[in-house]
This record gives sequence, structure tokens and C-alpha cells, in this order.
Amino acid sequence: MQVFGPNELLADVLKKDLCIGCGACTEICPYFKSYKGRTSMLFSCTRQEGRCHAHCPKAEVDLDELSSFMFGKAYEGSPLGSYQSVVISKAGPEMIPGNFQSGGTVSALMTHALMERQIDAAVLTDWKGLIPVPELITEPGDVTRFASSKYVTAPTVSMFNKSKQLGYKRVGIVGTPCQLTAIAKIRTNPLDREDFEDTAGLTVGLFCTWTLDARDLLKYLSARIDVEKIKKLDIPPPPAEVLTVTTVDDEIELPLSEIRPMIPRACSVCPDMTAEWADVSVGGLEGSPGWNTLIIRTQKGAELISKAEASGFLVTDKMPKESFEHLSMAAGNKKARAFRQAMEDGCLNNKDDGHAALRVSPTILKEMNIESGEDNVGDT
Amino acid sequence: MTPLKHNPYNLVITGVGGQGNVMASRVIGNMLSIHGYRITIGETFGASQRGGSVRSDLRISEEIAFSPQIPKGRAHMIVAMEPAEAIRVLGELGNPDVKVICNMRPIHSVNVICGDFTYPSAEQHKEWLSDLSGQAWFVNTTEAAVKLGNPIFSNIMLIGALAGTGDLPLERDLFETVIARWLSADKVEKNLVAFDKGMSMVKDDKRDG
Amino acid sequence: MSAILKGKKGDQRLFMGNEAIARGALEAGVNVVAGYPGTPSSEIIESLSRVAKDRDIYVEWSVNEKVAAEVAAAGSLAGLRSMCTMKMNGVHVASDFLLHLALTGTRGGMVIVACDDPNAHSSQNEAEMRHFAQMLEIPLLEPGSFQDAKDLIKWAFELSEELRSIVFIRGTTRLSHASGQVVLDELPETERKAAFRHDGFILDQMTGSVISLPIAFKHPQLQEKLQKAAERYEGCPFNSYTGPENPDVLIITSSACTFYSIEAVHMLDLQNRAGILKLTTTWPLPKRLIKKHLQTAGQILVVEEVLPFMEENLKVLAYEIASEIGIKPILGKRDGTLPSHGEMRPDVVAGALAGITGTSVDQRSEEYEKKVNERVFFGAPARDLTFCPGCPHRASLWSIENVLQMDNRQGFVCGDVGCYTMGLSPSNFGTLKTAHSMGSGTGLASGFGKLDRFGMEQPVLSVCGDSTFFHTGIPALVNAVHHGSNMIMVVLDNSGTAMTGFQPHPGIEKNAMGDVAKSIDIAKVCEAIGAKVRVEDPFEVEATQEALFQLLEEEGAKVLVLKQVCALSPEKKWSKKFEMSVDTELCIGEECGCNRLCTRIFRCPGLVWDQESKTARIDSILCTGCGVCASICPANAIRKTPLAANGKEVA
Ligand SMILES: Cc1cc2nc3c(=O)[nH]c(=O)nc-3n(C[C@H](O)[C@H](O)[C@H](O)COP(=O)(O)OP(=O)(O)OC[C@H]3O[C@@H](n4cnc5c(N)ncnc54)[C@H](O)[C@@H]3O)c2cc1C
Ligand code: SF4
Ligand code: SF4
Repeated sequence: MQVFGPNELLADVLKKDLCIGCGACTEICPYFKSYKGRTSMLFSCTRQEGRCHAHCPKAEVDLDELSSFMFGKAYEGSPLGSYQSVVISKAGPEMIPGNFQSGGTVSALMTHALMERQIDAAVLTDWKGLIPVPELITEPGDVTRFASSKYVTAPTVSMFNKSKQLGYKRVGIVGTPCQLTAIAKIRTNPLDREDFEDTAGLTVGLFCTWTLDARDLLKYLSARIDVEKIKKLDIPPPPAEVLTVTTVDDEIELPLSEIRPMIPRACSVCPDMTAEWADVSVGGLEGSPGWNTLIIRTQKGAELISKAEASGFLVTDKMPKESFEHLSMAAGNKKARAFRQAMEDGCLNNKDDGHAALRVSPTILKEMNIESGEDNVGDT
Repeated sequence: MTPLKHNPYNLVITGVGGQGNVMASRVIGNMLSIHGYRITIGETFGASQRGGSVRSDLRISEEIAFSPQIPKGRAHMIVAMEPAEAIRVLGELGNPDVKVICNMRPIHSVNVICGDFTYPSAEQHKEWLSDLSGQAWFVNTTEAAVKLGNPIFSNIMLIGALAGTGDLPLERDLFETVIARWLSADKVEKNLVAFDKGMSMVKDDKRDG
Repeated sequence: MSAILKGKKGDQRLFMGNEAIARGALEAGVNVVAGYPGTPSSEIIESLSRVAKDRDIYVEWSVNEKVAAEVAAAGSLAGLRSMCTMKMNGVHVASDFLLHLALTGTRGGMVIVACDDPNAHSSQNEAEMRHFAQMLEIPLLEPGSFQDAKDLIKWAFELSEELRSIVFIRGTTRLSHASGQVVLDELPETERKAAFRHDGFILDQMTGSVISLPIAFKHPQLQEKLQKAAERYEGCPFNSYTGPENPDVLIITSSACTFYSIEAVHMLDLQNRAGILKLTTTWPLPKRLIKKHLQTAGQILVVEEVLPFMEENLKVLAYEIASEIGIKPILGKRDGTLPSHGEMRPDVVAGALAGITGTSVDQRSEEYEKKVNERVFFGAPARDLTFCPGCPHRASLWSIENVLQMDNRQGFVCGDVGCYTMGLSPSNFGTLKTAHSMGSGTGLASGFGKLDRFGMEQPVLSVCGDSTFFHTGIPALVNAVHHGSNMIMVVLDNSGTAMTGFQPHPGIEKNAMGDVAKSIDIAKVCEAIGAKVRVEDPFEVEATQEALFQLLEEEGAKVLVLKQVCALSPEKKWSKKFEMSVDTELCIGEECGCNRLCTRIFRCPGLVWDQESKTARIDSILCTGCGVCASICPANAIRKTPLAANGKEVA
């Protein structure tokens, strides 16, 4: 993977509004900091190569390299990425109940992994007044505190970076596809550092179509409701076209047409809906609010699921064929849309001195009926 | 009144804020005043106290008082407390005949500290200073001053060195008279040691150029 | 004993221009002196404050120039001799009061010394004060030598008492801050009793009420005084001519430009062709004296700083007498012979004079010029001004910069006047984005803070020094609070007027004469005004940033007082709180994760980058032991060991 420095990160990502605020570039140096859901560069840094750039999920992401690192093979461009199996799941009877987004699969898996000491600590994401706050926890009992989806840009990866500094060796992390792309990049030791250690003990991905800018959402919602009272946000499947906000005493629906302008530009070039670089990926199951879709990708993931099932933390079932087809279509569409957009924006497979956000083999683009990105030459 | 080598004789004392420039130029001015010369001292201070360059122009003349600034290219002697400042002054006031006495201890500016500029080696500075002047003396007064107990004696040594060149009538007893106006007897003693030390530095130094 | 008191009549002393002025004031028997510090004027009051007790005079650093003028005027109205000092900007501040004082007139002698700073060595502009004399219709004097600077003060007091009017004296940097020989006169024994008379006839300037009305009476009276001044100027002993009887070129000059003119004539060896009329009385011009000299001259060159003030007035005069003496070519700034910006120098004047007389100035050889310029480029690296080691402003601006960048809404800081103005430069984070006059940062912020209705979402901050706070910061804050402006005023309280040399101000428990004075608590003042106030120590970096983040969340006008004594202050110098060291094992230097944050960005001169070991190092001579760098190091490699007050390590 190509690695540049902070100035390129500033020019190619931050200044081009491609930053998703994942925090991968923060907590490793004093120059990039995350505050209220946004990442900024505080002072200029002159390094030619830096971890900030190497970690960023919006700069020089070579999908082939990630795929061969995770799965030992080239990127195939299939809608759901590489996986062993797709099932549906929900928290089992042993799991403490909570304010789960869907079936509570994520919370159950993290609780179980912490209890079994498969991981020493977990990076989970909370929010305070709609401002995302990643935390590092070590107690299984704390996991449910983080239940429910925070539909905002969150610097979750910053806490993973911090966990490394604090000396944790096996850390579990729950994240969106972009956040887990950063984690995967981090795990490849992109700068070939001698002192490098892979401390990602477990990666649980969340499905994601898009997210919202934390500050914009805060501004929008606080003009309408008391944000301190929000319990849950949800986006029911089409054709609903609304964002439902459940508060302590009410449930309101807000039209997506008012919500969509708050989607970060970075999401438009994101080809990943199902968190392809995770051990397991979890999403909702259309029409069954109490259930999750669960994609088991790695051997580690498969082992975790069978143990969790055996100990009563998880219940699984067969994935209905119709739901599977629906999911594949949605994921495939997002992928094609993203590659097209990236090409249009001039940040796909850039040649010569050009800096790309994404790199994917031209054959795959052809298969997906997207014209070759070869004419993206350096825009210096 | 002994006739001056040049009328006016243009002497520059240069250094960095906090090195004691103003004090040195005052002492020299007062010494030469006793001889009956006309003295004008121009100095740049104010904001330059904060790490910037500081320069005193001394105009020493026989009848009329001259302006507080030496005209371009017309210095006769530059006493520098810092090598880069010596070069800087040469840029404005230097000429092929000018004499230079330079304390070789560098003081790095923020621009050097932060890596925007590189600071030349002492050898390089010496070569340039010799080449740009008619005669140059390189001394290590900071070092000697620290040995004497305080880096501030460096100024006094440079006054001694200037006296040692014999270019201006800066007699030892005049020096004593002038500093005795400000300092107590025991301090005068220390300063005389510094003055003598500076004088010997120039006398012992193999002259360049 | 202070330098300006030493010596008896006839002794010669080497004085700085400002010391000469101070000695002059003593020789004139001044009683009351008030001013506001500002380079290049500050040493006048500094010198006088040191001898105030000895000479039994009253000296104060006033809260601002307007109040200084009022305090001095009170002395005059009570029959005493009073002097007021300020830098040129101060005249703008004081001018409203002075406009009225000119009309009411004075009683005891009152002299205002205002110092201009051509080339803006220590200022943000090079505006001049001379035009104020014209606008206010009061006489102006410009000393052209160190001796004049001293002797003129007494003459000015006498003139003031004769006219019963304020007299302006103009200093410039090259006179105020340069030194030359001065022959002393006696220090008189004065015994003046102060009393303010107000029981006389209303129109009697000496005994009635003091008021600028009725204008139909007072304005013509003022103009009569000015005419009388012009008359007295005809015989002023501080005007002099040197040169041939009928010079080809007559240089008319004043102030420090007298030196440059003398030197230019000398450089070109034009003693037989050029004459110099040193004019001390530059407004109103003495008509007969001017006429006498214009008559004898071929051409005239006017040499002055900065604008063609004298030149224009001379031209008006020359026109009025053209029928008698014919039309004389008057060269200067209006025709471009000399520039109307920047300061004059001997070379500049010589160049102009050479052009007029067809002579030339010796130049350095091209070869030397080329060589020396090249070596300056490589051999004399730039020396940007920076905050001192251990300066609280560096710490304060560091925190502000970090917070505003993290906040990421293009927030900005309106700057003000003080050492912290250096925060405009990239060497000091470039945190400040505006800089105007005293107190104006907060006034601007008050305005910016109301623009949210027009869609402005940027956070607005101002910084203001403690002295500036009292000077003009308070009304700006009152305005912001009253109008509910969204802004944060950060008061950088370093306990003194550090920029100009630690003059006391109302926040300090000491006055100019060293007596105990009631200090005014800035935070309490702000609270009383109605602002939400936080007080922090800028050396506590985390707490400071936390406070800023919190204040950014609040509506309305807020104040953050960052209190920490200036590193140069006498009380702090040489006393280290911490012994600092760098753990070279932990320092990551240029590597990813730091890239020399401390030496490249934070840039305290006490920290040095060691090229050989590739780690940071503490320069223990420069380091003041403030400990701030320890909290910015991302690798925790900078250690601080607490020291007791005696400099020993705490056990
Ligand atoms: C921004 C976002 C967009 C999503 N979009 C879709 C979608 O389009 N389709 C779909 O099927 N599912 C989507 N999901 C996933 C879905 O909302 C549920 O998170 C998922 O079904 C798991 O449900 P659960 O009941 O197991 O989760 P829970 O047991 O409730 O656990 C939720 C976990 O998510 C983590 N989390 C919450 N917010 C964030 C965040 N912003 N960043 C990182 N981690 C976070 C918490 O740490 C917590 O552990 C999205 C989630 C997010 C955060
Ligand atoms: S996307 Fe993540 S890594 Fe990239 S710039 Fe933004 S916060 Fe940093
Ligand atoms: S759509 Fe992609 S970039 Fe946007 S939040 Fe989801 S995973 Fe991140």
C-alpha cells in the first residue's frame, strides 16, 4: 500500500471533505486530534510518511492488499466480501438484556469474548448528547451500556490506538466498515515497523449504508427535541423514508429528505456495506426487528460464534433466501455506486503521482460494468 | 585630544537581545567622552529584546556630533558578541578595510532551533569573516566569562579586546573610572580582571588577513 | 542616585534622549508628571519615577493617555508645572481631551512630550503626532540634538506659561533611544503650592471656571495664542543656521533629521555649497526667520520624518511671500526627492542631496556587495522575534491554538497591543488574526460576536494584556456583555506592562514611585460587568484548554483570565520552579508520533534540537523551569523535578 505523510492526508482527505472522523490518525501523534466527531490537524508536520496517512481508510486503500492480508486472496468485488457463512442471530438467554439496536448479537458477542478472556479489553462507542464517545472497557458487565447504534461519525479507532499505548495486547473492537478498514490497514503494519504488534483480538463489523455528521445532527435535532432524552435512532427499511427517534417519552419520525444532507461526503465513496474486513459482521434483518443478520468471515469468527452459541449467549438460525438476496443486492449497489463516484471524483486507481482514495483491480471494475479507472492520472 | 584614526570613527557593537550590548556601548561611550571626543550612540532595542538582533552604532568624532546611524558600508570596527550577527552587520556596514572582533559562541535563533535555517560551522564563519574584513580576531569570551563566574563578563572582555587592538584610546584606568561610577569596589576588581583577559586575547591572537 | 540626578551645572554627561528630556524637566522644575508607557517614550517617566522622592515631584503611570493628560492638566490648573508623556498613538487617545484643553487654556506650564516611531520599530504604524498640533492649534517644538532635548523643556514651560497654553514636544525613536553628550544645568529648588481657583470671572482663564465655551470668545483667544507663539518662535534660541551665506542648497530640517542632514553634507563635502537651517519651532512656522533664509538660498530641500508636514507649511508660507522673494524651488517628499514613509538615514539624505547638487556618494564595490550579500544569506540566519523562554504568552497561545484547531470551526482570535502581538507571526503559532489599537481586539470581537444572525458560525476570541485591559479593554467588554455578543475575552495577565519594561498598572500593588497602591482585581471587575469569568494558570495546559472548551459552549460574552507572571519580571528572573530534563530514551524526536513538536512547533528557546543525538535537549542557561513543555511532549520524555525557592531540588 502506498503511504504518504500528514500533508497528503490534509490535502487528499481533510481538505477534500473525505474525512469520516474515524480517529485512526489520532492518539498516535500530537498533530491530529478528534473533537466532537470531527478530526482536525492542529499544526503542520513535515514527515514524508506517517501512520496518520497509513491508517486512514480514505487514503490509498488497496482492496487487493487488504483482502490478501485478511483472507489470503485477491479482492473479488462480490457484494458481501469473503465469508464462511451467513446466518441470522440474536442474543441468547444467558445474555443480560439491554437497549439493543436489533437482536443484541453485537453486545452478546463482546460480553462473551470478554468473559472468556478471548480479549483483554473492548473498544465500544457511546454518545453524550449525540456527541460520540469511544471507550475502552475490560468488564463484561459494561458492554450493554453501549447497546444501540449511534448514527454519527465516531472516532472509535482513536480508542483502539490508545489501547495500544496503554499496553493492551488483545483488544476487541466494534466498528463500522470504514473504522474496520482502518483497523485492517493498521494490522498490516504499513510502515514495516520493527516494534509492531497486531493487538486486534477480535473485530466485529456493523453493516452501514451511511452515517451522519455528528455536529450537523446535533444542531438539527436539538432544534426539535431535548437530545438528552434520546434513547434510540433507527432507520426502518424502505419504503419508510424516515428516521425514527425514540425518546424517553415519545417516538417521532423525521423525513429522510431532511436527514440526507447530513451524510458526510466520505460515505459516497465507501464501497463496503457489510464490514468486509471483520471477523464477523452484524446488521439488522429486514422485517424482523428482534433479529440480526450475521456474516461469519474468519476462522476466529466461526469459533467465537460456536462457543457463544454453546454457552447460551447467542442463538442462530438459517438466513431466509429472500433476505439474503435483498442484502446482496443492496451491498452490490452500494459498491458499484461508490466505485463510480470515486472515479468521478478522480480518487480511484490514480496513476503516476496521483493519490487515490481507493485502489481496486480494473478487471473487477469491468465485471461490475464500470469503465476502467485507468484514465485517472495524477492531478498534481 | 589624540587625533582619531578616522573622523568620525565608526564602531559597531552587535549581538543578540539580552547579551548586554547597551551596557557595553555605554561604557565605551563614557570612556571616550572623558577624552573629549564627541559621541553619539544609536541603538535598536524595544521589541528586539525578545531574541532579536541588537546593534549599537557608536560615532566617535572630534568636533561635530554625527548621526546615530552609521551610513552603509562605513564601519571601521565591528565588535560582535555572536558570529552570525557579525556577518549580518557586515552586510550593511562592512567594507574591505573593516576590522572585526568576534566572540565565537553562537546563539541559535528560533528559525534555527525549529530547523527552517541551518547555522554555519565556526570554521565557515571564521573564513567568511576574514574574507569580508581587513583584519579579524576570533575570541571565546563566553567560555572565559563562565570560568570567571558569569557569562555577562563576556562584554567586558570584548571591551578589553577592543582596547587591545589599539585602534581607540581605551586605557585601563579610564575603564576603571567609568565602571566605578556604577559598581561597588569588589565588582570593579572582577571587571578589571575581565578587561585584562579580553585585552590579552587580542594580543595573543595570531592576526588574520 | 539615579543617573539623571548626578552632576552639577557645567558637567557633561552621556544621556539617552529620553534621559535628557527627563533631566530637562527637572531643570525646569516640573512638579507633576503623568504618562502611559509606549516605546519610544517610556524612559522619560521611568527616569523621573526613580528620582521622584529625591526631587519631591509627583509621577504616575496613568491608566491611559487620555487620563494621563487629564492628570497632568489638573497639575497645571492648580498652578503647577506639569508634563505628560506618551507614544504617538497615545495622542490619538488623548486628543478628545486635548481639543478641549487647548480651548480652555492652561495655568501652570504644561508640556506634552509625544514620541513618534518612524519605521515602526516598536509600533504597528508610523503615523505622526505633528498634525495634531495643527488640528488642536497649539505650538509644537522638535528638538534636533541631545542638548536641545534637555534645554528645550525649560523653554517650553516658559512658553506655555507665557501663552497659558499646552506646548507639544515631539520626540522620535532615533533621538529618544540614542545617546549623546549633554551639558548639565542647575536643578532649581521649587516651592509651588497647588490651588485651583474657580471663583473668578467666568471668562478669566486664570481664576474662573475652566470651560471651552463660549466658542466665539475662546476660539479666537486660542488663535491669538498661536500667533503669539509664532512671534516668540522668531527668536527661539533652538533654531540655528550653519553654512555659507548664500547656499546653493538650503536644507531645512528638524528633529533627528538634523543629524542626517549634517552627516549628508559632510559625506558629500558640500560645506561650501549647502547650508542647514535646524528648525525646532516647526508649528507655527516663524515667518520672518523663514523668509530671511529662503531669500538667500538657491534651492531648498526639506528633510523631515515621516510626512511632508513642515514642507507643506513652508510651501504655504513661501507662496504668501512669493511676491517679495520670488518663487523658490522647495524639494522634499511631495516631488519624490525623499520618501514619505520609513525613517530618514544619512545615506538617504546624502543620496537626495547628491542628486540635487550633481555630486555622488562613495559606494562599496560591486564585488564586495555581491559577496557580502551572499554570505549574509547563508551566514546570518533570520532571527525572528519570539516569546522569551518561560513566557506565559507562549503557553496561553498554545492552548488557544490547540482548542481552536480542535474545535475546527475556523475560530479566530482578535489581537491587541503587547508582547502577545507576536502571536501574529507563524513562529508563534500565528494564532492572532487581527491587530489594531489598544483594546480594539475586544471591541472587534464584540462586533464579530453579533454576526451569527448573518450566518457566522466561527467562534470569536480576543486577547488583551492586563495593562491593555485597564487602558481601553474595559469599555469594549462592557459593550460585549451588554449586547450579548458571543465571544471570549482572554485576559493575558502577566502582572505588568511587560513589553515596555514592567511599568506598574492599576492591577498591581505598587505605583510608579514605588509606593503601595490599591490593586484592582481584573476577574472581579469582569464579574461585576456581568461576564461569566474563569481564572486559570496558563502553565496548567490541560486545565486552561478545558476552561476554553467549556466557555466555547456558553452563550454571551465570557472572560478567561490567564494569570502568570512574565518570565522577565524582576520577581521571577533566576528563580526556577522546576529543573527540566529530557529523557533521551523516551524522546522520539523526528519519528512518526512527534516530529519534534517541541523544537519545531512549540519553539521555546530553552529547548534545543540536538543534531547529533537526534533528541531534544534543555538549554539549562535559557530554560526558566516553567514546566510547560513537559505537558506538551507526546512521549512524556520531558521531565520536571520540582525545585525549592532556593533552587535546590525538593527532597
Ligand atoms: C452508523 C451506523 C449505520 C448503520 N447502518 C446499517 C444499515 O444500513 N443496515 C443494517 O442492517 N445495519 C446498519 N447498522 C447496524 C445496526 O444498526 C446495528 O448496529 C446492528 O444490527 C447490530 O445490532 P445489535 O443489536 O447487535 O447491536 P447492539 O447490541 O445494540 O450493539 C451496538 C454496538 O454498536 C456499537 N456502535 C454504535 N454506534 C457506533 C458507531 N457510530 N461507530 C462504531 N460502533 C458503534 C456500540 O459500541 C455497540 O457495541 C448501522 C450501524 C451504525 C452505527
Ligand atoms: S478518515 Fe479517519 S484516518 Fe482518515 S483523516 Fe479522517 S479521522 Fe483521520
Ligand atoms: S458509509 Fe462507509 S464511510 Fe460512511 S460511515 Fe458507513 S462505513 Fe463509514
